[in-house]
Amino acid sequence: MKIDLLYTPGCPKCVANKEGLRATAKNLIPNALWREMNVLDEIEYAVELGVLTLPAIAIDGEVVFASLPTSQQFERELIKRINKEA
Amino acid sequence: MSLTIGKIAALANVSTDTRYYERELLIEPAVKSEGGYRLYEHDALRRISFIKQAQQCGFTLTEIRALLTLRKSDEACCNDVRRLALEKRLQLEAKITAMKVMSKALHNLIETCSVDGRNLEDCPIIAALEQATGTTS
Repeated sequence: MKIDLLYTPGCPKCVANKEGLRATAKNLIPNALWREMNVLDEIEYAVELGVLTLPAIAIDGEVVFASLPTSQQFERELIKRINKEA
Repeated sequence: MSLTIGKIAALANVSTDTRYYERELLIEPAVKSEGGYRLYEHDALRRISFIKQAQQCGFTLTEIRALLTLRKSDEACCNDVRRLALEKRLQLEAKITAMKVMSKALHNLIETCSVDGRNLEDCPIIAALEQATGTTS
């Protein structure tokens, strides 16, 4: 699973729960590819994904969260996807 | 110094309908002079210029209101404005992408139609659009 966190530098909202979310992902899916992307460097990729607000989280190329979720919301989404893949 | 509606319009290069900005709560309401003229504070001129520039960058009035609020906020910083500008750019790019898809779809339809003056009932563009409607209904 590929998880992209798209953020803008200097945005406190973007980093508020970043570590918590990364830990949730690594805990549930140890081999998940976790990427933190500065939108200023990846604007074309963000447009391709359809990101309209920041920060955002895309999972396997799909924008799933248009703002940072709580760890619980993120965990629920990941579990849903793990069950779907199984 | 207070400015009349005409002076504001001339300086900001807008129509004299500054009440539009008032209605949208983007500038402070005018006070009336003894002679009945609508008078605005100098800040109204700055705000109208700001609004015009922001509109040219694609910001909606709601977004401009948010920008104006940020400008007055003690807790906000330049990063907040940059995030809004970046989000606006992402939204504009998404619109451009959607419009390119529309343009390509129209190009494909136009390609199906030769310029031979056939009857409307044989028009391949109309037929393709009807077919598309049929598949989505």
